[in-house]
Amino acid sequence: MSDTLVASPRAPLPPMPARRRRNWLKIVATLLLFVLLLLLPIITGTGVAYLKVAQYVLIGAVGGIGLTLLVGQAGQLSLAHPFFLLVGAVSYAVIAGDPEESDDLVGLGLPPLVAVIGAVVICGLIGLAFAPVAGRLRGIYLGVASLSLVFLGLWLGQSLEMFTGGTSTGRTPPTFELFGFPFSNADPSPTLFGVAIEKEQRLWYLFLALAFIAYFLARGAVNSRVGRSWRAVRDNEAAATAMGVDVRRVKAGAFVVSSAFAGLAGVMTALWLDLVKPDENEFTGTYSLAVSIAYLAIVIIGGLGSVPGAVVGSIVVYGLEKFFRLGATEFGWFAEAEFGGINAVVLSAFIYGAAVVLVVLFEPGGAAAIGRRLAARMRRPAAVASVPNGRPTPERNDDDPPA
Amino acid sequence: MILRRKAGRSALIAGALASTLVLAACGSTADNQPGGTTGAGGVKTDKGVTDSTITLGIMGDTTGVFKNLGAAINAGNSIWAEDVNAAGGICNRQIKIEIVDHGYKADTAKTLYPQLEPKVLGMVQLLGSPVLAALKQNLIDDNLTAAPASWSSEILNNPNIMMIGTTYDLEIIDGLAYLQQEGLIKEGDTIGHIYIDGEYGGNGLKGSKFYAEKHGLTVKESKITSTDSDLTNIVTGLRGDGVKAIVLTTTPGQSASALAANQALGLNVPVLGNNPTFDPALLQSPAANALGNLYVAASSPPFSSKTPKAVEVAAKYKQKYAGAPLNAGLHVGYVEGLVWQAVLTKACESGDLTRVGVQKALTSLSSVKTDDLVAELDYSSPGTPPTRGVYIAKVDPAAEGGLTEVAPLFTAPDAEGYKAPHQKG
Repeated sequence: MSDTLVASPRAPLPPMPARRRRNWLKIVATLLLFVLLLLLPIITGTGVAYLKVAQYVLIGAVGGIGLTLLVGQAGQLSLAHPFFLLVGAVSYAVIAGDPEESDDLVGLGLPPLVAVIGAVVICGLIGLAFAPVAGRLRGIYLGVASLSLVFLGLWLGQSLEMFTGGTSTGRTPPTFELFGFPFSNADPSPTLFGVAIEKEQRLWYLFLALAFIAYFLARGAVNSRVGRSWRAVRDNEAAATAMGVDVRRVKAGAFVVSSAFAGLAGVMTALWLDLVKPDENEFTGTYSLAVSIAYLAIVIIGGLGSVPGAVVGSIVVYGLEKFFRLGATEFGWFAEAEFGGINAVVLSAFIYGAAVVLVVLFEPGGAAAIGRRLAARMRRPAAVASVPNGRPTPERNDDDPPA
Repeated sequence: MILRRKAGRSALIAGALASTLVLAACGSTADNQPGGTTGAGGVKTDKGVTDSTITLGIMGDTTGVFKNLGAAINAGNSIWAEDVNAAGGICNRQIKIEIVDHGYKADTAKTLYPQLEPKVLGMVQLLGSPVLAALKQNLIDDNLTAAPASWSSEILNNPNIMMIGTTYDLEIIDGLAYLQQEGLIKEGDTIGHIYIDGEYGGNGLKGSKFYAEKHGLTVKESKITSTDSDLTNIVTGLRGDGVKAIVLTTTPGQSASALAANQALGLNVPVLGNNPTFDPALLQSPAANALGNLYVAASSPPFSSKTPKAVEVAAKYKQKYAGAPLNAGLHVGYVEGLVWQAVLTKACESGDLTRVGVQKALTSLSSVKTDDLVAELDYSSPGTPPTRGVYIAKVDPAAEGGLTEVAPLFTAPDAEGYKAPHQKG
């Protein structure tokens, strides 16, 4: 936006041709990335395990985008993400569940697409119900208050067995179907470049579509009036009120949006695991405190408030560990360290921990800030401001350059 | 604007080109259908079997919460494989084992599974209830038979599960029958049951409820989560209820807490647990002196068992893995192998070492003997636990592995009458 106006006076305004070249570079890179993502099932071929990791990264990306909007853009700390994941997963299983499946389980038998939308809406509404709390508290106080939802989720998951299936067995979420096309194994199934498009490949395309929708909705929100009002409330509530922003409403809205994203990630988790099963304790598991922390790490590593950053954060936090594990088996890395010592798990825990510490110490803007710096260096090799526009809060990524 | 429109047009062209390419590359799996092939010895094979090897998988835990037990089970599996290979293998093929470690995390297991699956005929060990739950559909989709290191009768609705030994509910029924037989509890008593809410604890609770109903006992239930560490207040409550015995389906650390409270509060009632409630490492913990009241009912023998096969396997383990923890995992792992051996031998006789062939062989076996490492196993009625017998052991710091056998393999009459959740008829 106003980038060029406040740039260092020594640097002349970039001439038009340079600008055009940059755009082309960007378009080509985006297209290449898009084609790469579309062809990923062909690239991985029979190595479905790697596709499974990629799907998992997309789940983290969708959930992470939701959290980065809330924490980075609207300035509200939330640790309740796993609760909304659980609500999303259970809602999907209940709405789409076959009523005949079991006498003990509630299933409405509606089409899966309706169930996905329903799950997202339910999560949004529950987020709205939490809004009075979110509107009154801020910072670490809100974080702790939201933490209570994780405990609530643990208790509800264990008690409402007719919805969740209980901690013993859980319940199987219904296969996703779109206009009669099932996202499951089929025989015969179509092939693409000789690779059968089976369940995992289909799920990948479904997840990719959901992630794209989530990504562009989030970018749209950030770059529009909604995002500006979030940032206004975050930076100074009094000033925001003076400019006509309804602070309470904006805060509630941010919580609703974030919860809805988490709900979508929950549905994806259920489809990815083929299972909806409440956790046995609050510390480890699919909807536990460990997941709260993982999501926080995703948005910090990616850069608070940055939508593409959340995707990068998800690759680091959700992707690396699983990738190392697969590599460890496939290529025999760390093979000699079977009993103790450095193995894939320990190494990835180090990388993830080190990433958080290094980001907080040296680049509070996270991956988004690093990306901005690299882009700026390519544009104007001489004058590079480490802090864009000389803003005093380098950990914020308010407006990423438009894609 | 002009720029944007140009970009749009070229994107359109690129898109059209791409879709043509994609259409050209499309096909269907119906075009090439590979079935089972016939290998050496006229045996039909598909995945995980070549003319010289049979590959089985392990999805175990050597880095997560069950790493001690998991490593010992892995060792038991490998010792079995070595024994078999030394004796010439099965079906003229050597056994090869592929090990992966999921750290007791369902999401990790879900990622690792597709990497392991194409390489193996079946799984000699699949550890962990959350993992098993997450992989249930995969096992069914891929016709893959797996021996679980998890003994809940709730999972028996999966035809691909090869349960080895008896289930948690039956362990508790047999254990309570033993306590009554020894005069430690009697009809009309009140007993406490502390359980982790989940597959493991919930299944154990089914057993004590069943036994209580048969014998007029009252069960005081206490639900905990698997990370609770101090059970003193629960035991205090049970003392107020006047319990004559406490049943545990908990983690080893929680058992130690309950046992310490049992002693410190002067309650001193017998405590019954099953296989996972005890870990020899507890004998080095501050609760060591309070463990004496614990009886363990398990389908595999304690490490120090005098059962000849158990002695033989234990000797090999100590020689091969000097300094490794001594726990019941070793025999669990070895017996998993023995059952696979029976199934593979049967499948080989029928000339069908495919995954489907393995499943057929499994359900055709009505009496698998394992040199008394577990009771005789009957796989002919899916949904039913293959055996109902247990060993009873008592904590004994002097014994290797911390447990000494007080009752050899036995099956209580009540256990015979118990109907498991997925049992038919």
